[in-house]
Amino acid sequence: MTTASPRTRESRGGYRIGIDTGGTFTDVVVGDSSGILSVGKALTTRERISRGILEGLGVAAAPLGTDAGALLRQTAVFIYGSTRATNAILEGKTARTALLVTHGFPDILVRREGGKTNPWDYTADYPEPYVPRQLTFEVQGRITAEGNELVPLDESGATALLHRLGALHVEAVAVCFLWSIANPDHELAVGRLIERELPGIPYTLSHQVNPIVREYRRASSAAIDASLKPLMQQHLREMESDLRAAGLAGELLPAISLGGVMHIDGVIDRPIHMVRSGPSLAPILGQVIGAAETGATDVIVCDTGGTSFDVSLVRDGRPVFGRDTWLGARYTGHLTGLSSVDARSIGSGGGSIARVDSGGLLCVGPESAGADPGPACYGRGGTHATVTDAALLLGYLDAEYFNGGRMRLDTGAADAAVGRVAAQLGKSAEDTAAGILVVASEHMVAAIKEITINEGVDPRDSLLLAGGGAAGLNIVPIARELACTRVLLPRMAGALSACGAQYTDIVTEFAVSHVTASSHFDYAGVNRLLSGLGISVGAFEQSLRTRGITRFRTDYFVEARYRYQVWELEVPLPDGRIAGPEQLRSVVEAFHRAHESIFAVSEADQEIEFIQWKGRVTGELERPPLTPFSASTAAAPPPDGYGKAYFQSTGPVEIPRYRGAALTPGMRIEGPALIVEPTTTIVLYPGSAATVTPFNNYMVNV
Amino acid sequence: MSTQRKPLDQVVIAVLANRLDSIVREMTNTLFRTGRSAILNTAKDFSCSIITADNQLLSSADGLPIHVLGGGRQTQSMQEFHPDLAAGDAFLHNDPYLGNTHTADHTILVPVFVGGLRLFTVAAKAHQADCGNSDPSTYMPFAKDVYQEGGLNFPCVRIQRDYQDVQDIIRMCRRRIRVPEVWYGDYLAALGAARIGERRLKALVDRYGADTIGEFVHEWLDYSERRMKHAIRALPAGRLIAEGRHDTLPGLPDGIPVKVIIEVKPAEGIVEVDLRENIDCVPVGVNLSQTCATAGALIGVLNCIDPGVPRNEGSFRRIRILLRENCVVGIPRFPACTSMATSNVTNRLINATQRAFSMLGDGHGLAEGAASMGAGFGVVSGNDRRHGGAPFVNQLVIGNNGGPGSPVCDGWVTYCMPDAAASVMVDSVEIIEQKYPLLIRSLRLVEDSGGAGRQRGGPAGEITYGPLHDPMTVAYFAEMHEDPPKGTHGGGPGSASAVYKVHRDGREEPIPPIGLVELQPGEFIRGFEAGGGGYGDPLTRDPERVRHDVMEGWVSLAQAKDVYGILLSGARADASLRVDAAATAAQRRLLAQA
Repeated sequence: MTTASPRTRESRGGYRIGIDTGGTFTDVVVGDSSGILSVGKALTTRERISRGILEGLGVAAAPLGTDAGALLRQTAVFIYGSTRATNAILEGKTARTALLVTHGFPDILVRREGGKTNPWDYTADYPEPYVPRQLTFEVQGRITAEGNELVPLDESGATALLHRLGALHVEAVAVCFLWSIANPDHELAVGRLIERELPGIPYTLSHQVNPIVREYRRASSAAIDASLKPLMQQHLREMESDLRAAGLAGELLPAISLGGVMHIDGVIDRPIHMVRSGPSLAPILGQVIGAAETGATDVIVCDTGGTSFDVSLVRDGRPVFGRDTWLGARYTGHLTGLSSVDARSIGSGGGSIARVDSGGLLCVGPESAGADPGPACYGRGGTHATVTDAALLLGYLDAEYFNGGRMRLDTGAADAAVGRVAAQLGKSAEDTAAGILVVASEHMVAAIKEITINEGVDPRDSLLLAGGGAAGLNIVPIARELACTRVLLPRMAGALSACGAQYTDIVTEFAVSHVTASSHFDYAGVNRLLSGLGISVGAFEQSLRTRGITRFRTDYFVEARYRYQVWELEVPLPDGRIAGPEQLRSVVEAFHRAHESIFAVSEADQEIEFIQWKGRVTGELERPPLTPFSASTAAAPPPDGYGKAYFQSTGPVEIPRYRGAALTPGMRIEGPALIVEPTTTIVLYPGSAATVTPFNNYMVNV
Repeated sequence: MSTQRKPLDQVVIAVLANRLDSIVREMTNTLFRTGRSAILNTAKDFSCSIITADNQLLSSADGLPIHVLGGGRQTQSMQEFHPDLAAGDAFLHNDPYLGNTHTADHTILVPVFVGGLRLFTVAAKAHQADCGNSDPSTYMPFAKDVYQEGGLNFPCVRIQRDYQDVQDIIRMCRRRIRVPEVWYGDYLAALGAARIGERRLKALVDRYGADTIGEFVHEWLDYSERRMKHAIRALPAGRLIAEGRHDTLPGLPDGIPVKVIIEVKPAEGIVEVDLRENIDCVPVGVNLSQTCATAGALIGVLNCIDPGVPRNEGSFRRIRILLRENCVVGIPRFPACTSMATSNVTNRLINATQRAFSMLGDGHGLAEGAASMGAGFGVVSGNDRRHGGAPFVNQLVIGNNGGPGSPVCDGWVTYCMPDAAASVMVDSVEIIEQKYPLLIRSLRLVEDSGGAGRQRGGPAGEITYGPLHDPMTVAYFAEMHEDPPKGTHGGGPGSASAVYKVHRDGREEPIPPIGLVELQPGEFIRGFEAGGGGYGDPLTRDPERVRHDVMEGWVSLAQAKDVYGILLSGARADASLRVDAAATAAQRRLLAQA
């Protein structure tokens, strides 16, 4: 890895820091225009997130001959990925939130949009609404589809209601009235009442967070956003002030579910954008590395952390996005109303706890020991046997060199913890430990199958790319189970998402609704509006320019549909305006073509309705380049040492242990063996072998 | 051909089975995103499927049970009438006497050719906004025969050749369907779905080869049959008889009895459903088509079988359904009207079948599900002055029928009704108000409407709506007004349906449960659909669940006490409700003795 002196950074625009805080570990990756420089890992400190971040930064700074403070002072872009918002929802730790709706419509969140995945299944209860009925309240007032006020807002009733909410200890309020997108007056008025009657209580108005037609989606967006505000606003503000105090001068950009990053003020205002943002960075790395290493355009990206296992896909060279983002299962979970990277997430990772259930069956996860107390072997008071403890007992981890030697693992504690499970099972400690890994692998295989085989994708046709601190422990048996012949583990595999952060851009969208039709097109109105969008786009670009970002791409689109349709297609506006009939004709033709190519039919003489006009600005951040090394013909160096290990196929064996730093492109290691990287350990099971690729990553033939 | 072929890899079988499902889901997405009427682009009252060259249903992911289970009979008529089948063909089929469900469901069939061989047929069946019936409604409950019904009939006619529309057929539809532009757009949506299915299947065969695909089809259907056989073997043996009754109709003062006789034969791995002991066809629009009679019985059985067993023609081999000619629940005799074949009597049939299964013992079968197509499922029509007085017709799918209690869970809320079983989506209030000139005044779920039980029935919904500017007609069909869904194993019935007209002065007048009403601006229709039946004795319901039901407004304090025997202290308003364990035990003893 190249290291340059910190002084040269400023002239090149400074460092780029990518952070990924998971439930257990905080990953840090530092890069600049010459490449990725350094990686660090620290335990996540939930009570004050910046502590773990600064510790990880310190780790990453050391090889660069500097410290966290100096690094931060020379950082241009700081990208923050976090599972905090998602986990808060999954763990039911969001604010106690009330929902105010139009009188007569209390069940919007209960009924969602209907639908059920398996109509033959009568074994599951109907899911609870995001906000319970007991905290959903009706307010008199009605706007029509045309935006007219049919029934005036009952302000005194609303005021009395807000007093009741105070007494019910409500911590956040969401407001969604019918047709607030056509006329927001009632929502705005209630917003003012909330500020007056419940000062300090955060609230979200549906027309502001997600101005779309369809009351369920808008109400759900508002409810999720409001419920996250107390927690996420405090979290983000505290982190920002801590990092600024530690010296950060550059841009602080949280990753958002759309797959890019956003300015921190925007996210503080709309924390819903951070929901499901966690898995959005990993496929970006899959896309970049997959293409560079093998030219693969279809990649399965697995990220095994301490708490969770996330799988996402790259298909045809792009991360797979879902237009509808469900928290939980489709139909029965909650729609965020926004699109996001399509990823499956299960509670399985290095910290997953093993236990024996009442029927005598070995279970692993979804409960995790997290970072605190963590697995028994961390020696922080944890007593539960975890996947990490099992791996240590099996000799798959180097107790002296965990996390680059910054943590010593307590072998005795791991043995004791696994021993307790073994006693319950009546098996040997080794067989129990191996069993814990098998069960954990099984869950992960099922998650991969769900996003591939269940969607009709044969995993064997894709490149399998694995990362996350615990990935190397069992990726070989997982790949074997999927009948994949090889797995790519990036050198920085331990910090997959933080690495992905090195390759993201700033993406912001400006949108204005204005309905017009092809037969009586409103040229003046549309061009006025497009000029307005151009001004917003220009101002945004200017604000980025002052922050040192110089390369932009602005694309204009219109969302259009045939008359009577209710779902739109996005059509590009290459000129950014529609000057006359000629340009209109070309947009109309582009719509017919898009409809034909996506839906197999078009209707040449049908009127087209134009609904929403959008300008999307991409501020291109400087990316660390990927340059191949020339492969050496040198044989692998002698191992760093030997250790005892246990595999089910071989029983106890003595295996070599290699330090990753000593391995260069072209070298090959035969299993059984361990390759120890500072942030991850790759277990080469008997029969597998690893080769260091030209880009200095590991390709494991399983 | 080599004779020594290795059996197909299990992973390939799993991948292909899921790939077919994902092709069907992509077809479904195409129709949903491109449809023009709300019943398609919002309520999703349509289904897509893949059928084998020899007319066996292969995949119907996300489809409505009633739509997809009879697909094979329709492709049979395509084969029979069109020996010159070729790539580029598409057929319009809505003939209930030739395998379709009812006239309002237009089915587009596209034969899929690869290398000159016909390997599959893809089908997209969609409930139309209008089908040219004599009333502006896709349901004609009172029509005495098909002539009075009046809908345009297409007995599997070619609507595309060489990928081009056959204009004669298009013109027929455009002339006689009340909303020609919407119809044509919906036709394109269904055609697009079928063409997407065709493209994807061709790519799949190119990738795996016709031999592998052929072998897969064979293996998959056999595998599905084995799974079903295994599931039936786990059931107790028994002869089960259940009866239901459709509400009264003009000329049918006793309503329409529905009788189901089931033989469960675990030793043979067979379930037999005999529907022959039912009355002859009736001179109203509720006779079942043969497809609906078959599908209705199948749905009832499948609802009681391990949901993991694949639902296709392979597993259906283990279910025998016995029908007779000229029977209201069987094979209709022309010209009997089957306009409402997908819903009314079919829903009674499904309910009787799944309730019969509960007679195998607690742990089997289901209670009855609600099936009212009242105001919340009315067909609205009129003219829209916002669009130059353009005509509109569309069935609303916004009401709420409660699902049946099962041995292990409460009734589904957005159940729709037995024939669609929650596969249909729910209309958005805003989309409906945007597309049609009406105002919805309220839409809420009703307290105490789900049948009481250890597992409670799902709740009914209330809805009130009316025209904004000009008169509007609503055709509605609130079955289950007289005979609400039954519970089982001690579970209570769900609430009954009802319909009211709300006059300008606010007065509410009960109107016949099945009918057609014209509303002036300022007038509203108000309707209640039905609640689902409960499963098991309400006195055995977990007290904490009853407390939660009261907190959430599903069950009143009075019902909690009088029916569930649960006494609660504290108040709902400040979330302080708690179960009073001692008082509850006493109350439950008291109720048990009564």
